Parts: sequence; structure tokens; C-alpha cells
Amino acid sequence: MRKRPIATNDPHIQALAGIVGETAILYRKEDLIAYDCDGFTVHRHLPKAVVFPNSTEEVAAIVNYCHKHDLPFLARGAGTGLSGGAIPLNGEVVISLTRMKRLLHVDLENRRAVVEPGFVNLKLTNSVAHRGYYYAPDPSSQYCCTIGGNVAENAGGAHCLKYGVTTNHILGLEVVLPTGEVIEIGGNGVPDPPGYDLLGLLTGSEGTLGIVTKITVRLLKNPEAKQTVLAYFNEVEDASQTVSDIISAGIVPAALEMMDQTAIEAVEAAAFPVGHPKDIAALLLIEVDGISAGIDEQINDILTICRRHRVREVKVAQSEEERARWWANRKTGFGAMGAISPDYLVQDGVIPRSRLPEVLREIAAISRRYGLRIANIFHAGDGNLHPLVLFDASKPGETERALAAGSECLKACAAVGGSITGEHGVGIEKKEEMRFIFTDEEILAQTALRDVFNPKNLLNPGKLFPTPGRCVETKQAPLPVK
Amino acid sequence: MLSLAWIEELQAFLHPEQIKRNETFHPLGNDGAVTVYPQTEEEIAAVLRYADRHGKKVAIAGRGTKRGFGGQRAQADILLSLERYAGIVEHAAADMTVTVKAGTVFGELQRALAPYRQKVALDPFWPEEATIGGVIAANDSGPKRLGYGSARDSVIGLRVVYPDGTVIRSGGKVVKNVAGYDMNKLFIGAMGTLGVLSEITFKLRPLAKYESVVLLSFPSGDLHDIRSFAVSFLDTMMEPVCFELLNPALAERLTGRPVYTLVIGFEDVESAVHYQEQWVERLRPQTAEMAVFAGTEASAFWRTFYTVAPNGRLAPAENGVEAAVKIGVVNLDVLSVLRESALIADRCHVRLEAHGGLSHGLCQAYVRGGEKDVLTAIEELRQTAVRLGGYAVVKHLPFSLRQRIDVWGAKPSYVFLLEGIKRKVDPNKTVNDQRFIGGI
Repeated sequence: MRKRPIATNDPHIQALAGIVGETAILYRKEDLIAYDCDGFTVHRHLPKAVVFPNSTEEVAAIVNYCHKHDLPFLARGAGTGLSGGAIPLNGEVVISLTRMKRLLHVDLENRRAVVEPGFVNLKLTNSVAHRGYYYAPDPSSQYCCTIGGNVAENAGGAHCLKYGVTTNHILGLEVVLPTGEVIEIGGNGVPDPPGYDLLGLLTGSEGTLGIVTKITVRLLKNPEAKQTVLAYFNEVEDASQTVSDIISAGIVPAALEMMDQTAIEAVEAAAFPVGHPKDIAALLLIEVDGISAGIDEQINDILTICRRHRVREVKVAQSEEERARWWANRKTGFGAMGAISPDYLVQDGVIPRSRLPEVLREIAAISRRYGLRIANIFHAGDGNLHPLVLFDASKPGETERALAAGSECLKACAAVGGSITGEHGVGIEKKEEMRFIFTDEEILAQTALRDVFNPKNLLNPGKLFPTPGRCVETKQAPLPVK
Repeated sequence: MLSLAWIEELQAFLHPEQIKRNETFHPLGNDGAVTVYPQTEEEIAAVLRYADRHGKKVAIAGRGTKRGFGGQRAQADILLSLERYAGIVEHAAADMTVTVKAGTVFGELQRALAPYRQKVALDPFWPEEATIGGVIAANDSGPKRLGYGSARDSVIGLRVVYPDGTVIRSGGKVVKNVAGYDMNKLFIGAMGTLGVLSEITFKLRPLAKYESVVLLSFPSGDLHDIRSFAVSFLDTMMEPVCFELLNPALAERLTGRPVYTLVIGFEDVESAVHYQEQWVERLRPQTAEMAVFAGTEASAFWRTFYTVAPNGRLAPAENGVEAAVKIGVVNLDVLSVLRESALIADRCHVRLEAHGGLSHGLCQAYVRGGEKDVLTAIEELRQTAVRLGGYAVVKHLPFSLRQRIDVWGAKPSYVFLLEGIKRKVDPNKTVNDQRFIGGI
């Protein structure tokens, strides 16, 4: 790398450069702009600096320095998070883990692999695919998101319905605690390490309890057979009922995805159209996998249920190529909104699956109330909704209206006993909405745990929990670095 | 003897019938000067609030199958029994979730779900006696963990009564949820040291349409044969729900033949189950013998299997003592643990029955013999586990012997975090004091 002498008198920058080297730190404003937000772009703030450590020791030294000097800091992977977990709201030192991207160990006999946090999710599957194995959690951003970030957010994906989310696949972690101390939990993948389940607590803690520097994950063997069904419906209600009936018939699909008319309009206008009819109200993408001898029976059951609910057209993928096209169309669905709207805001509520029809009706009502289109593209089998509120940020007040509409969608989920986030995390975005589902005492019980790990609250402060006293934060303009 | 006049004070919030003074104490310890039987969450909270304010120690129990698991106290002041706090709170069949009270017997819950063709995907020991609360608090799981996962994969929500009487909910009733910290995980396997689990919500799985158990016995006793069969079978795309190796001593008890035996379970539609059985047939070594049990025979096999572990409700062994040890290693290292266990049995003059999952890495060893021999065998099992990078935890042992051995093994380097969590949640060490690792 080109050597670039440090041109600042800031002793902190100099000290951090001393740890990672002069080529592995950014501190000039023009270099920092790319790090002022992540996949959630409503709030922005420049970090104090971005450092790129190359080892656990360097991460520990950085953290130790920040801890001693009371500098707030946070970890960042690929920056694909959708709830603002990696936004340096307080001018944090951003610890980018993108250089720690090695695949350290693969042990197929014991079905596990050890990776560094910056290793990209899909690369893991690609590394073991030739032997017939894969890494199950598959967020839509899997081609670029990192496994470290997946751990922080407890990332999900389309195939979590059958195989579980990130936390179900983490066997061990090496963690730099907010004090700079390094601990190892679960060692080389031994199940149930004695003591409280810190693996479970750390996974999904949104980078507020520690920085993960090494991850032991479970690998799965590819299913012997896989079949994918695409079903078009004239009524949303019929599609919802089909979802409900598939689940209660005792079928566990590998994935069960739904898109409504607005979403279909967008994906068909974007990069991966597959020729869905424009006039259908909803489509379902259903995948079953498992032992080949049992697949046909499952597919037949699914087709029967679809027909019972007046499906307009239903087809089974005839080739891997066709299946891949259907999935590319679905997985790029959020980005496809750009084809029909200047801006969009994605929400992430979860509901009991049987309440799907009524909550979708409620979301349609919210859309009408706010005069904003809302597309729905989501993991129907999990009850994990992703209402996409379409808006135009250049119109005065529309961003605020979109945020309010999104929040109302979450309220509708909470009202039927659901949750405000199924896989994107709370971050900055849904801090206040935590109150829709938790009491003050329950939030206190959680922050009490944070205090055990992160006593000075320097690691990713201001995330995940509502501001005491309910002062709603308004949109913040970018501020210069201190 | 200290005055027990305070027991009268419990009548402020419990009916006299819910309070029982104890004259003698259980040989497994974890008893109480008085046993209380709350019937509502409010009563649980009232007991804890009273104890927390008055410096009383509370031991928590379901039906007592795990009374011999951990604990450095013969008796607490109050034994809080959840026996009368049982039943299904809500079964949302269409959502495939169920919420139950902690004192519900595991098998009773499964029977209530069966008409809906649903189940909790867990296979704990002693399902007809163990309560849900105990299974979750002790994080118990059986051989089908391979296919089912463990409690942390099935529990989606909890109501926990904190030691100060506050009720905290974690998770919820939806199958996917990342709002806030994943607090469910904290209470699973916490041995009741962070409060009383009041209600537990599970996500459910459909009952399999068909099930079979393949017993593959290896009279040659050659562990290399077993290993290479295991590696090649697990590399196929078959989906066994269990792949558990029994050592000869345990195989003798379960099948009548004292040879290493693999228990391979399949649950799927019938055609898929038979198809997988054929794969076993095709890949098995010449010398291995195969038997298949299906339907009621398979159920009968499992019913017996789940009663091989010691049970704190049963009368103690007449001759010598009985111990259960849970050993965690990396999957295939289970073979080394089982091989070593045979040598340990010989060296220590104990009977040692053991089984372990070659694709989940947990072993259970049941040791019977003289006091000193059993303790030595436990030590040696632990050394074996630690040498393999794993651990050994004693799940069952009489109280007197628990004082002579470290039930939990060495403290992890991060024990200060565990202590910190305990301090935040239970600063007065009111609930299940000294029941857990590091004296927590």
C-alpha cells in the first residue's frame, strides 16, 4: 500500500495510526464521508476516524486505547445493515473489519468452519460447495455482507424458515470486549459450553457488547433434492390463506416468500425480471427440500393447497437456471424499488403467521392514510413482513411521513402480538419502537446486561435502546468531525 | 437450630396448604426448610419478593428429576416447587406455537399437541416426569438434538420472575425476532440462577409422518470401522435425526448385546425413511449387523432409552452411588470419549454406560460403583474431555459427593462476565445460590 504520512496533530489519530500503521487509517473528511452511514441512510454522521486492523491483537489494542481515552467506537463490516447499527452518531472511531477476511479453517467431517469477521457470507458457501456443503443463513445481501455483521445483527434470510437464523449456526466466538480484553467462547465448536449462553447473548447484540474477531460456524450438507414453486394469486387474501394452510398442514418449506402487486411492479422493472403478470395481486415463491423420495409428496400437498385457494397459475421450476432466476428476482427486490420510486424505507415487523391477512389489510390502510405507496415483499412463512414505504426525499416533509408510516406498520405488528424486527435489528431506526413491545423494566433488564460487558458504554453507544424519557430524535444533519 | 418462626409470614400470600415444613432432607441436597407450592405467577413473585427482602435463600424445583444436578447447599430456606404451576396457557395451532407454565410435565405437553400433529422438537430424558421448566433451566437434550436442535433453537419466548419479584418477558410469540438482546438464551441452561421461569413459549414442529430407528451393531468393536462408516454416511445427503453411538455396556442394557451400536433415527414420509435405511444398508461395513425398528417398536425403544439416565426422584442406589456426566467435545471426538470410557471403567472398577452423538458432540456417561471409584472415574472422564478441548459437567451425584468434586469443572476465562450477569440480576444471591459454575 502507498505510504501516506499522517498529517494531523490529533494525538488520538497518531496513536491509532501507531497501532494499525499509517496506511490503515482514514481521518480526512473527504475519506470519511463514505462511512457516515450504512444501509440505513436517513441519519448520517462522520466518524472520527476509520481504522482497518488486520488481527485480533490490533483490534484489542485499538479498543484498549479507546477505552482508556474515553473515545466512543464501533465495529463495521460491509455496511449493509438496514437499521443504522454502524452509523457513527457520536463521531465514533469506526473499526472496519474488512481486512480481517480470512477463511481460517474448514472441517467438513465435523461440519464446521472458522472465519474472520470480514469474510463475506456467500464466499463461505462457495468455498465448500464443491464438497456439497453450505452455510445456511442467507440474507439477501449475502454476496457482500460479512459474517461478523451477520453475528452482530443475528441476520436471517429467505431460508431461515426451515434452517434457522444466524444464532442457530454459531458454535464459537472470539470476542474483544469493550475493555480490550479478548475472550473465547465455545472454543473450537464444542456444544453447550458451561455457563450462561454468551454466544446466544452476543449474537444479535448489534455490536454493543463486544467485537467479534473469529467465528466458528456450523456447515450443512446440501439437501438431496430441491423443488421451487411459483404461484400467482388474484387476491392477497388467497395468498395469505395459502401460507397459513401450508404451515398448518405440517409442511416445513425451506422458504416461503410473498410479494404483492407493487413489489412485483418494481422487480419486473428492475434488473432481474422474470415475466410475472402485472395484474396479479400477490405471488408466492415456495421452496421445499430434503430427501428426494419425499419431495413429490410435499409438492403435491402444496399444489393442492394453492388450488384450494383459487390460485391463478402455479408452476414448478423446471431447471436450476429457472429456479435461480426466480430467486435473483426476489433477492434483489429491495433495490428494485429504485426502479419505481426515488427513495424507499424498508420495515421489518414480525407477526404470528395466522394474522397475515388482517395485518396486510392494516398496512394497506396505512398506505392510504399517509398517501404513500407501500410494497410488500417478505418472508411469509416466518410471518416476517417487509413493508417498503416508497417516498421522495426531495419533497418537503415526505421523509418524515415515510418514517411515521413505517413506524405505524410496526405498531400494527406489535398490536397482534408480534415484534418490531425479525432480522434487520433495532439500531437507530427502531429504538423508540422498542417501547411498542417492551416495558421500561424489560428495557432496563437489557441495559443492565450491557453494563456488564460495556460499562462505559463507549462501544456503539446510542443504539438499540430508546432514549430515556422518550425524547424522539429527529433527523440529524451531518455534522463535522470534532 | 435457627428459629423457623418466619415461615408463618409466608401465609400472608400463600394458603397453608401451599406450605410444607420439611423435617428430613433429601440426600441429593437442593432441599428447603420449607417447601412452597405457588399456583400463580403472582404467588411465585410474592415468594421471591419476600425472600429477597428478608435475606432468605430459595431453591427452585419442578418435580425433582434434576435435584442431583449442581448445588453446594443441602438446603435453602425455601424450596419453591412449581409442581402445581402447570398447564398450557395458549396453543396457537395455526401459528405452530405453544405457551406453557413451567411446572407442566414434558410428556403431557407432547400428548396435548399430538392430536394437532405437532410437537416440541426436544427429546429430554425422563419426559414423563421432567417438567418443561426444568428441561429448559438445565438445557437438557437427547440424541435427536441432531435433527431437532436444542432448547435454544425451540424456545421463542419466556416470562421470568426476577429475584426481586419483577416479571420480565423475553422474546415473544413469533418465530423470528431480533428486537433487543436475545434474552431467552440467557435463561436457558442458567440452572435457575437468574430467576424463576414462569411461562415458556416454543415454536413447534410437525410430527413426522413416519419414524424408524436403525440399530447398527459392530461386533468387531473396531472404532476405526465405526468412524469411517460415520464419516461416509454423514457425508451423504441423508438427514438422520439422530446418529448416536452406544458403548457396549449401554448397548447391552438396551439391546441385550454388549457391542458398540449406532442408533440412527429417521423421521420423514415413509418412502423417504425407507430410502434412507437403504443407504445405511449400502454403506455399512460387512461385519456390522443391522436391525430396523419402526412405528410402535421405535417408540418403545425411545421410551426405554430416555430412562437410562439417573433420576433424582428415584430412590438412591442400594449399593454404591450413581452419577451422570455430560461431556461436550467436537462431534467425532465422541468416539475417543467412548473408547476412553471403557478403559476408565476397567481402571476405576465402575460400571460405565455411555452414549454420544457423532454429529453434535455431546456424550452422556452414567457411572455406578463405590463412592471413591465413581469420583475417580468422573475425574478421568473430565481429563479426557479437556484433553480433547471439551468439558465434563456432572449432571447427577449425591450431595455429599458433590462437596468433594467440582461439578462444573474449571471456570472459563470469562467467568467475570457470568458473575457480573448474576450480580445485576440477583445481587442478593437469592435464587439457586451456588448451583452453577464458579459457585454462581
